[in-house]
Amino acid sequence: MSTRARIDAGELLISLVLLALGSFVAFETQGIAETQGYSQVGPRLFPYLIGTGLVLCGAWLAWQALSGGWRAMPEEAETHAAPDRVGFLLISAGVVLHMVLIGWAGFVLASTLLFVLVARGFGSMKPVRDLGIAAVLSTLVYFLFTRGLGLSLPAGLFGG
Amino acid sequence: MDTLNALLSGFAVALSLQNLFLGFVGVTLGTAVGVLPGVGPALTVALLLPATAGFDPTGALIMFAGIYYGAMFGGSTTSILLNTPGESATIVTAMEGNMMAKRGRAGAALATSAIGSFVAGTIGTVLLTFVSPFAVDVALKFGPAEYFSVMVLAFVTVSAVLGASPARGLAALFLGLTIGLIGLDSQTGQARFTLGIPELLDGLDIVVVAVGLFAVGETLYVATYLNRGSDVIEQMKGSIWMSKEDWKRSWKPWLRGTAFGFPFGCIPAGGAEIPTFLSYATEKKLSKHADEFGKGAIEGVAGPEAANNASASGTLMPLLTLGLPTTATAAIILAAFQQYGLQPGPLLFDTQPELIWGLIASMYIGNVILLALNLPLVGVWVKLLAIPRPLLYAGILIFATMGAYGIRNSWFDLALLYGIGLLGFVMRRYDIPVAPVLVGLILGPLSEQQFRRALAISQGDLSIFVTQPISATVLAITALVVIVPQAWRLVRRMQANAIGHHSPI
Repeated sequence: MSTRARIDAGELLISLVLLALGSFVAFETQGIAETQGYSQVGPRLFPYLIGTGLVLCGAWLAWQALSGGWRAMPEEAETHAAPDRVGFLLISAGVVLHMVLIGWAGFVLASTLLFVLVARGFGSMKPVRDLGIAAVLSTLVYFLFTRGLGLSLPAGLFGG
Repeated sequence: MDTLNALLSGFAVALSLQNLFLGFVGVTLGTAVGVLPGVGPALTVALLLPATAGFDPTGALIMFAGIYYGAMFGGSTTSILLNTPGESATIVTAMEGNMMAKRGRAGAALATSAIGSFVAGTIGTVLLTFVSPFAVDVALKFGPAEYFSVMVLAFVTVSAVLGASPARGLAALFLGLTIGLIGLDSQTGQARFTLGIPELLDGLDIVVVAVGLFAVGETLYVATYLNRGSDVIEQMKGSIWMSKEDWKRSWKPWLRGTAFGFPFGCIPAGGAEIPTFLSYATEKKLSKHADEFGKGAIEGVAGPEAANNASASGTLMPLLTLGLPTTATAAIILAAFQQYGLQPGPLLFDTQPELIWGLIASMYIGNVILLALNLPLVGVWVKLLAIPRPLLYAGILIFATMGAYGIRNSWFDLALLYGIGLLGFVMRRYDIPVAPVLVGLILGPLSEQQFRRALAISQGDLSIFVTQPISATVLAITALVVIVPQAWRLVRRMQANAIGHHSPI
């Protein structure tokens, strides 16, 4: 158990989010109509229990965060010292753009862009190579899963 | 004799051309994802679920099981050559096996883990074959109260007993249970926690949750925090065959590792990490070469590798006989059963014997294929380690988004995928375990169903859970696994204090 002088803001925030989520679950449960049937227990009991559980876990973790930090955390201060925010944002952009594009541009184009952005997010400096691999892989995956396995994926601009 | 007959007819099923092929695909894929860092069996099976909805269930499940135990074989290769555990169950192998590789004994390390995995996997399958019928007899006596109690035991062990912190484990469990609440209530058909969004009426698909946590969350984490420098791959030096001395030092650890692994897989104690650590500690204690431990002792590779494979077979026992998943991968395989409208449990042994026994028989065959894939062909798998990290993770995300979108062709699932990916990123950053989320998500609705059924039988009397002998026993065990480790810690602390006070030296 390592004791730290400072309170980790992230730990406290997560604890409070769990507390809030638990309260929300318990609050929302009141809106569920109670129809017991002959099972004696309606659809409200479990949500109440789970909401309570979340609140208790959140309180427990908040207490830990305020009294020396969460217990038994791995020693990773060095790992977390310099986060690569650009990498995080590039990958996020890739996934979000994929969501926006897949409907009309199709699976192959959306996936190609995703691949290039993720590779760039991991620091790849060879965009041409990435683009080539991305196009080939996306096309292969498209045909393997639609023709071979019967999954339906949008063809988009290529499908006409 | 019944069991042998059932197994023989299982072989007839498993040896059909289609099932043989799917089993082969399963173990090959399993080895590949075991080798590749960043991809695991849970993610792989989850990604294949939407694409295999139209498959014959027996063949699909043979493939999924192959992926599961195949990954245990493949994981050791990465651990030995890269010192990055390919799977969480191969952490010990990563310590000891990598030291062997550094001393030019990579070949012997790979051989003892492959042969040990084969021995343990085969013995584990034999045990599964002959113990399952007894487990089924017990399970047939289970009513809703007993099922509920067993699920509570699984919840508690997966979240509170294993892992670094009970507080974080329980938080993850309740998170999973909350996600499991979303959708229509199975008994009354009322919508719960759908927030008025029609897409949420069916609940959150386990594929989206698993892929979001394992693929998107993991990718974001690795890119943000771990993407520095490149890994050092140890060269494949030394003969791939083991010397006489190696055999002599390996066979007992294999058997002892199996003895640790299988029972730990069977009980809801969350996977293969514990038996691998136990096996390592035991081998260190028993070895005549204790000084070699930490510098590359072959026993420290042979035992833990056998343990993690035996536990994979053990995990299938509660899954098949009770429908109880004890690891993340088992939870996804349970979702696969549900996809085909099947509920694993004692009745399935009666209604679908070809499926159950075909699956078990396929594991004998799969282990032989895996030995061939992992010994002579190990060089092929090593090449996978040379894939540059940017391309590897970019590829993982293509499959991840395809799996999520393929469920019902909705952009909404991709939005969920990213949201759950962010959750996975935060959980990884703050060391909150992921397996309790998946177990809570899949067992939550089932446990609620059993709870309500039990109370319907008892007409609302809660004491049914403690008056039924089996249920009471299971709940007592649950209490014990929570209390004993805490009490043990307390006693140790008091002893330490006492020694501190009474003997100043």
